[in-house]
This record gives sequence, C-alpha cells and structure tokens, in this order.
Amino acid sequence: MEMISDVLSGLWESSGFYALFADGTFLWQNLVMILVSFVLLYFAIAKKCEPLLLVPIAFGILLANLPGAGLMDDPTGIMDTSNIVEGAHWYDAGVLRLIYAGVKSSIFPCLIFLGIGCMTDFGPLLSNPVSLLLGAAAQLGIYVAFVIAILLGFEPNEAASIAIIGGADGPTAIYLTGKLASHLLGPIAVAAYSYMALIPFIQPPIMKALTTEKERKVEMKQLRKVSKVEKIVFPVVVLVICAFILPSVAPLLGMLMLGNLFRECGVVERLSDTAQNALMNIVTIMLGLTVGATTNGQTFLQWGTIKIVVLGLVAFAFSTVGGLLLGKLLYLITGGKVNPLIGAAGVSAVPMAARVAQTEGRKYNPTNFLLMHAMGPNVAGVIGSAVAAGFLLAMFGGN
Amino acid sequence: MFDFKMPLTDALAVSLIGISTVILILAIIALLIILVSKIIRAIENAANRKKAVAAPEQTATAPTGVPMPAGMNQGELELVDTDEKTAAIIMAIVSDKSGIPLNRLSFKSIKLMEDK
Repeated sequence: MEMISDVLSGLWESSGFYALFADGTFLWQNLVMILVSFVLLYFAIAKKCEPLLLVPIAFGILLANLPGAGLMDDPTGIMDTSNIVEGAHWYDAGVLRLIYAGVKSSIFPCLIFLGIGCMTDFGPLLSNPVSLLLGAAAQLGIYVAFVIAILLGFEPNEAASIAIIGGADGPTAIYLTGKLASHLLGPIAVAAYSYMALIPFIQPPIMKALTTEKERKVEMKQLRKVSKVEKIVFPVVVLVICAFILPSVAPLLGMLMLGNLFRECGVVERLSDTAQNALMNIVTIMLGLTVGATTNGQTFLQWGTIKIVVLGLVAFAFSTVGGLLLGKLLYLITGGKVNPLIGAAGVSAVPMAARVAQTEGRKYNPTNFLLMHAMGPNVAGVIGSAVAAGFLLAMFGGN
Repeated sequence: MFDFKMPLTDALAVSLIGISTVILILAIIALLIILVSKIIRAIENAANRKKAVAAPEQTATAPTGVPMPAGMNQGELELVDTDEKTAAIIMAIVSDKSGIPLNRLSFKSIKLMEDK
C-alpha cells in the first residue's frame, strides 16, 4: 500500500501540474504563453497567416512552456549559465536547446540565406541598378529605431538588435540578435516575423499618406533583358566589394550570393534544388521551432517585450518612409518616370513588399504592372539589411 | 532624469554613419553593376558582330501553314540577333493574333531590341 502511495506521489511530483506550482510560485506566465501558442496556431492553420513559419514557431512556444518538460534546459551552461547542474553533460540538455545551437552559432540564418539566394532573381535589380539606392533608403527605420531604443534606456547592443527589425528580414534579425543580445532573441524574432506577415496592413496607409494620386498612377518603362553572364558575375562582384568594405557582412552575404550563384550558373541544378527546397524546409522547421522555444513565459512576459514590439513597428514604418521618400525624389529627378510606390518595397521582406507595391499601384491605375519594378528594390533591401547588420555588428560586436 | 546607456550624440552619430555606409556601399554596387553590364554587353555585341561577319547573312524562310498559291514568293526574312526558333514563334503569334494565314503574311526582318 505504501509503495502504491509512493508511486502515485512520485507521478504527481513529476507531473506538469506539480511543476506549475514549483517552489511555491505559480508559473502563470507559462500558461499565458501556452494560450498565446494556441492563438498563433489558430491564425496559422485557420487563417493561413504565414503558416510555414507560424506553425513551428507557435509549437516551439508551446513546447518551451510546458512545465517540467525541460525541452530548453541547459544544465551544463552551454548558452545559459543560470541553471548549471554539477556533473551534467552536454547531451543532458533539452532537445530544443541542442537544436538551438544552430541559431546561437548563426548556422540556421546563414543556411536560410543560402536558400533565399537560390530563390532570388536579381534580374530586375541588374536591369535597373538605381533600385539599390531604394533598398538602401529603406533601411532608415533601423537607425531611427536605434536612437529611440537608446532613448528608452536599452544598452547599445540591445538597441542595435531591436533596430534591425526595421530591415524586415527575419534571418538577418536572428543572426544579429544571436550575436549581440541573444537574451532578446524571442521577442525580436517574433516581432520581426509578425511585422513581415503584417506588411499588407502596415505599408498601404503610409504609402497613401506620402504619395500623391498622380505619383501612384505612374507607369514605368519595361525593364531591359539581362544576360546570363551579368547574372553570374553579379553575386561574385557584390560579395567581394561588400566583404572587403565590411568583412562582418561576409557570413550572411556570402551564403546569399553562393545560393544565387548556384541558381544562375546553370551547372549545379541539383545543389540549387536542394538548397531552395529540402534544405530550406529542414532549416525552417528547426529555426522556427527553436525561435519559438526562446519565448519562455518568465523571460518573455515583461515590459521590455512590449517596448521591443512597439519599437519594431516604428522601425518598420520608418523604413517604409525612407524608401518612399527616395522614390519621390527619383520621381522628381527623372521627370515622373519612377513610381514612388516601388520605394516601399525596399524593406526586404521578399516578395511580400513588392506585391504590396503592385497591389497599391493597380488600385489607382488598373493597367499598371509594378511587380517587376518593385522586385528590384525588394531584393536590394535584402542586401541593404545584411549590410546594415554587418555595420551594427562591426560597431557593437566587441561588447 | 534619463538613464541613457550611450550618449545621445553618439547614438545619432552611429545612426548617421550607419545609414551613410549602407547608401555608400549600395551606391558603389550600383555603379559597378552599370560598369560591368556595359563591359559584358560590349564584349557580347563584339562577339555577335564577329559571328555575323563569319556567316554573312543568316536568313530563314517564313514557315507556311498551308501550301503557297502558285506563282507567289515567300520572300526573304532577315534575322538580327534572333534565332530561327524564336522567329518562327513570333511569326506564328502574329499570324494567330491577326487572323491572317502565314502564307499571306510577309516578314522583312525580325530584330532583337534592347534598351540602351
């Protein structure tokens, strides 16, 4: 009888319900995060909001907040030294903690960039190189948000990590945050991906406010055809130039351009296919799951998280403003040949931002077709945000 | 009153230098793209001209949908930087869209146009 009682008692003490009240503290934050994961799963499955990312992220949130499950435990202090257990080995760590090493070491963001490079056609950018300036101007939000984050009392490395949300590039945000302020990875990654999904709602009001109807109706000249040699030379030249000026940008840009070379050279189709399909899918699962798993209730539900989410929105909005303002300037300089709406696509979220420019342009001129023109600034934004991240890493990477 | 972890002037300076760096690097890339594109296109054009000199006039006969009426000539079609397959597709599309049979159409030349 006593044994049955011991077994039942042991079962109870090892259960999640018991862990919820461990050390006399009710872990309500974990329950809130579990509810948040349910809401995100609903949006991903029922509303189909970025399901490829949101399903693994939401499930990662759920797994990391299961009381007593310990999927993100780090007993040897590989990444988190707050709960070191004497005599523990690296393989005693929670399974998600082990996978998280791919985020912490920047392997996953770099592999994602490899896949993005394979999927990106830089043709529109090559046929209209001025697009690069729009992609640069659309990084304005990063630097505005950086100053505001400093004003709000964040450390410079934290401010830089928060500001990069304005680059609208999930892997870049994860890469930089993993290097500069990994304790903020959860809120920053969630904010970055959420705003990328919300681009169709965030950008149009700003586009409408900053442009006139006449500007929005502008039809642009057809792009010239780009030769295969130009497309092959481009990734090599860009990488060499950028990496010589700013070596810290080499990991991200190097993988992006390697992927693009796979795509364009035409002699490694199997590698290109693997990088943009199988590898990309595998890394997306691992990245999404472990990024979600960083949102432990006790550390995530804080006032600082709300500040990060708001700052991310500010960064995003100012990046859109930067692209639009340069678009307007080009409209004036070229005598009305550039539609300023394509400037908003300079925030790198590919191809969502370009699609928004196309949709908004057609609202005012149904015969207008801006998609290919917007793809130029859009892919330039990927390079721009990587360069911005490289700059911030060079500035604060030593802290 | 405020507890800044970095002086505001420094933060502004970092921001200004940061955005300038991004614009500068991307502007350099834009200039390089223009330069490299011009060089590549010049080399390609020179190679094409050499080819044209080696094989004087590349000509193709317009494909016909139905037999030519007796006594009619198909004429000659000049192809400039266009292969025969593309020319055949273009002629077929023109015929289809205009509703005029191919044997009633006469193509003088088909030339690849590029924005210079």
